[in-house]
Amino acid sequence: MLGLSLAACGESSREAHVLRDDFGNPIQLGPVPTRIVSLSPATTEILFTIGAGSRLVGRSRYDLWPDSARLVPDLGDGMRPNVEAVLGARPDLVVLYASPDNRNAADRLRAAGINTLALRMDHIAQFKGATGLLGAVLHDSARAQTVIDSVQNTLDSVRRATATLPHPTVFWHIWDSPLITIGSGSFMNELVEIAGARNVYADIQGASGQIALEDVARRNPDFILAGPDGSRQISSDPRWRIVRAARAGKIIVVDTGVVARPSVRLGEAAVSLARALHPGLFR
Amino acid sequence: MRRFRAWYWLALGAALLAISVIAVASGAVNVPLGAVIDALRGHGDPTAIAIVRDLRLPRVVLGALVGAGLGASGAALQGALRNPLAEPYLLGVSGGAAVGAVIAFAFGATSDAVITLAAFVGGIAAVFIALAVARVGGRSTRTDMRTLLIAGVIVGSFANAAIMVALANASPNNIRGALWWMMGSAVDATWSRAGWLALSLLVAGGALVYFAREIDVLSLGEDAAASLGVGVERAGRRAFLISALIAAATVAAAGLIGFVGLVVPHIARAMGLRAHRPLILASALVAATLVVAADLAARTVDAPTELPLGAITALLGVPFFLIQLRRIA
Repeated sequence: MLGLSLAACGESSREAHVLRDDFGNPIQLGPVPTRIVSLSPATTEILFTIGAGSRLVGRSRYDLWPDSARLVPDLGDGMRPNVEAVLGARPDLVVLYASPDNRNAADRLRAAGINTLALRMDHIAQFKGATGLLGAVLHDSARAQTVIDSVQNTLDSVRRATATLPHPTVFWHIWDSPLITIGSGSFMNELVEIAGARNVYADIQGASGQIALEDVARRNPDFILAGPDGSRQISSDPRWRIVRAARAGKIIVVDTGVVARPSVRLGEAAVSLARALHPGLFR
Repeated sequence: MRRFRAWYWLALGAALLAISVIAVASGAVNVPLGAVIDALRGHGDPTAIAIVRDLRLPRVVLGALVGAGLGASGAALQGALRNPLAEPYLLGVSGGAAVGAVIAFAFGATSDAVITLAAFVGGIAAVFIALAVARVGGRSTRTDMRTLLIAGVIVGSFANAAIMVALANASPNNIRGALWWMMGSAVDATWSRAGWLALSLLVAGGALVYFAREIDVLSLGEDAAASLGVGVERAGRRAFLISALIAAATVAAAGLIGFVGLVVPHIARAMGLRAHRPLILASALVAATLVVAADLAARTVDAPTELPLGAITALLGVPFFLIQLRRIA
């Protein structure tokens, strides 16, 4: 959000409003970057959408959307990145996920004189903040604002459409052994609420948590949300029969490439979830 | 039995130098040799300078120091404990250091210095616990060396169990950091880290070399040592403590790098060394070469992905060791 407010002020305000990334480091608003390395799927998607895709010279292994992202050189899994390989791409801007694991790499890249942007992307608000910040750094705040607004409009209309409908309870299956689900600290929890449902594990404070299968049965969700692998696992594993929704086959298969990223496709994710949870909506 | 010849020293030094030069000249990014030489002198392309001077050089130096520490510590321990299976990590040092680091991670520490210090303190704490146990367990107030070895192993297992419990419900980010550290890596090498390790090695390694004669006598057996007028218990404890200190410093600098401290002293003995002063020095040189080579492989084989250094040392070292073992047998 800080990025937006500053972009709005522009050069008119000379006050010491220094832009900072999520590691608290100042961001240089120099010339428009021409060689960008983006080491997380969400930021790569945002960069492509605001028209900087052709300037990407490096991405993480998991950045596969849009299809043209696959043509950008793969620089590893984006956590504890290989600093030498990143430097070898000769970037003038590096964008990475602000995880403690990446702090060392960010420090080294800054020491080498490269504008480095560490962004935390755990909430929908952080998607908007990151997009605004990237827009400011790319000197194209107008386009970034358009992306933010269009995502926000879609989310608002989904929220309006589901607001008056009954809210079923859902369990979001992330991983099987150990069994992991999302908590209220995740943007996926926000998506569930926007799509007109309640997460049975909203009492978990963090982004995710480890839980017991018996407890899932006790909380008795109306639906189970899972990726393609997870849903196969749930329908084939006899232990899952203790959960009523699994017995009844009320498993909603989600596209993890769309719903598991706090990025430009948040609107699409909310629509697809709302459709699956409330058949008949958005016909 | 092979005899150790003076020119071996030259060969060992040359091997370390050669592998270090290759290691500085290669990496995930292809920098031409001429550009590497320019970069070392601070000339030319700033990216090449950053890669060579800030990434590769401290990393090669740190790798060599970690190896030297593990080799020297292993050679001294095997002699003092009269056990060819003794190694720095068997004495609870690694487990203790890992607990220290994981506790630091769990409290959300991100500062490099804090985690390094926590690992060092954890390693030393484990050693003192093992020493205390060995004292109680032994007859009267003597420190029994066999009991000490067992106590170290047990303290280490307990530490590992504690880590597993701590990690079971930690956030994925913290687990990743801790696991990376437990697999060992020189990727976070900086000049200040290398400097601290060099300083501790200079002091503690110097002490080991100074007390090497005592270790010679200890390696004859406790009764023989006692009859030769060496205070067996104090000398043993001293060698143990100094070795553990070195091991803790290396673990704090680069995480857990297994196998080196166990096997390199055997390689040095296979070259015909018996006395502990040259044995410790030769072990340090061989281990430094091995770790620099392993780190070179770790960062180039599957670039840009980094492989765990602790596993590569074993993958490279085991075949070499087995060949040696066959020759001796």
